Amino acid sequence: MSTFVQILLRSLESGSVYALAALGIIVIYRTSNITNFAQGVVGMFNTYVVTFLVIKAGFPLWMAILGGVGTAILMGFTIDFLVIRHTKKVSPVAKQIITLGLIMVILGLAPLFFGVDPLNLPRLFNEGNLTLLGANISFNGLFNIVFGFVLMFVLFYILQNTKVGLAVRTTASNEYTARLMGVPTKTVTLGAWALAGVLGVLSGVMIAPTTSVNLNLMDVVQVNALIACVLGGFQTFYGPILGAYIIGVSRNLLIYYVSSVWGGQILYVLILIFLIFRPYGLIGKKVVKKV
Amino acid sequence: MNKVKTQLDFKALIKNPYLQFILFGLVLSTLPLLSAQFSFIKSGYITTVGVALIYAIAALGLNLLLGWSGLISLGTAGFMGLASYISAYLTVDMGLPFEVALIAAILVPTFIGILVGLVSLKIEGLYLAIATLAVSEILRKTFEEFDQFTGAFSGKSAKFPQLFGMIQLDRASTYWLIVFILVIVMLITYNLVNGQIGRALNAMRGSEAAAQAMGVNLLKYRLVAFALATIFASVAGVLYVHFIRYSYPSSWTLKLSLDFLAMIVIGGLRSIYGTVLGAFIVFAVPDLFLKQIPYFSQLSYTLNGVLIILVIMYYPNGIVMIFKDIRRLVLKWIKKGDRKDVK
Repeated sequence: MSTFVQILLRSLESGSVYALAALGIIVIYRTSNITNFAQGVVGMFNTYVVTFLVIKAGFPLWMAILGGVGTAILMGFTIDFLVIRHTKKVSPVAKQIITLGLIMVILGLAPLFFGVDPLNLPRLFNEGNLTLLGANISFNGLFNIVFGFVLMFVLFYILQNTKVGLAVRTTASNEYTARLMGVPTKTVTLGAWALAGVLGVLSGVMIAPTTSVNLNLMDVVQVNALIACVLGGFQTFYGPILGAYIIGVSRNLLIYYVSSVWGGQILYVLILIFLIFRPYGLIGKKVVKKV
Repeated sequence: MNKVKTQLDFKALIKNPYLQFILFGLVLSTLPLLSAQFSFIKSGYITTVGVALIYAIAALGLNLLLGWSGLISLGTAGFMGLASYISAYLTVDMGLPFEVALIAAILVPTFIGILVGLVSLKIEGLYLAIATLAVSEILRKTFEEFDQFTGAFSGKSAKFPQLFGMIQLDRASTYWLIVFILVIVMLITYNLVNGQIGRALNAMRGSEAAAQAMGVNLLKYRLVAFALATIFASVAGVLYVHFIRYSYPSSWTLKLSLDFLAMIVIGGLRSIYGTVLGAFIVFAVPDLFLKQIPYFSQLSYTLNGVLIILVIMYYPNGIVMIFKDIRRLVLKWIKKGDRKDVK
């Protein structure tokens, strides 16, 4: 039992990371109609900023994180302002390639700013353990889980109950009509890219202490977040988050109880089989095609 | 009179697409000779151009899938990687001849590709793209874990191919082999898309319901499209491992699949030369040109990203269109000149 709880807690931690990244992807997808393959790389770059502020400039971690959030917002604004705004007429497939261009730009710039050596980011809480039903979890891990939940709760509250949220939902459902109704869709898209950047850096800071900060920091997160979006369905904001937690939990359970070598692959195969029976994900509805 | 006729024949000959492909191949195959002759063409360029051509082969397969059939796949890297490992394992560890390894390395990934084709009947669009990404990730994780077969993180090595068990190739002649196979793949693609299969795929892309009403069997042609794309990717994988002589799990990531997508989108969907051009822009331009610009050698990768974004912003239908635009501009310019003469 205690092992099970232990695995569950660990999984919720990695699930939070995937969920934040998946939320970033889905926010961009719903407002700009772009599958953001650069979500992970943007997060990686800003995590580097945080690490640099801690190691080289000697900032305390929380201030460094605020700095990273700042650069993430700036980066989101820049991407939308310089590129995304001018791609209204580009075909949907070509739009996906734009984020590949962004990946190349950021991957090329990162070593120039931060060097090629991997860096280490300390944890927010270095000490302290909580014992829960015989399972141990560090305060830092607990903070990550709680923080992920709280952040998502706040975001969904804003999305469902405020004017800003209404503007986002209108833009997501039909951008053209939203513009006719006086919704400032350009500002919404700008905000979405900034929000995705912030979610990226937060997920990066969460996962960085478990490995080292390097160029491939977010690769696994990116792939899992994309698969979470498919598992949950692209049509809702909460589907991908559900998908992310399911992937986080079932992946660790499969790795521990079934096979440490093949656990990850088995999970993907199961997801593929699931998709054959529900092609639009857990929450998604079937899109009716007109002939 | 006689002279005019031969001229016309010559023009028709030049316009013949098959000859154009062969001519294109001949031009490409001069590279090793040129690099031996002129010092400013470094011999390292053979590797760069060779790999770009290998990528072009895989990208042509993806173009059949995305351009002609409208099915998007992010699994190309995984299939290419699988073929490279199979070929390396069969030639190095089992000591089998290159040709046998080539056939085996095509058959196994193609079988998986056909399975994905079956899945594609149920899943569509973005969902299909990410489902194929999942397939690719399953393969990549297997490369990392299954170390007696793949050598895990330390990679798997292979040798330059040995044809028919007696002709041992070196780097230049492997490059020629790549050009030869590329030309054949281009010819096959040209014939396929201008034949019955191409028409069926085109109809399927336009409207599935209409295609079915016209008697196009969706299952059959989706499987054909996926099988062809996987075969081309596998051939590319085999050539890659025998040209670079190494295969690492870190080569076959999502990034490479996105690169293939970029190649065909940038070059131009449904354009055979565009695909090759796209492969050059995505893969060879940083090495061949951007690194030569003073002060910018560090930024070559970034500049390439900027280039890709600019091409998509201004040439969303592919860089192939740039030639049409240039031609139009020139024609306009000539016309203007004519008018001035009249005045």
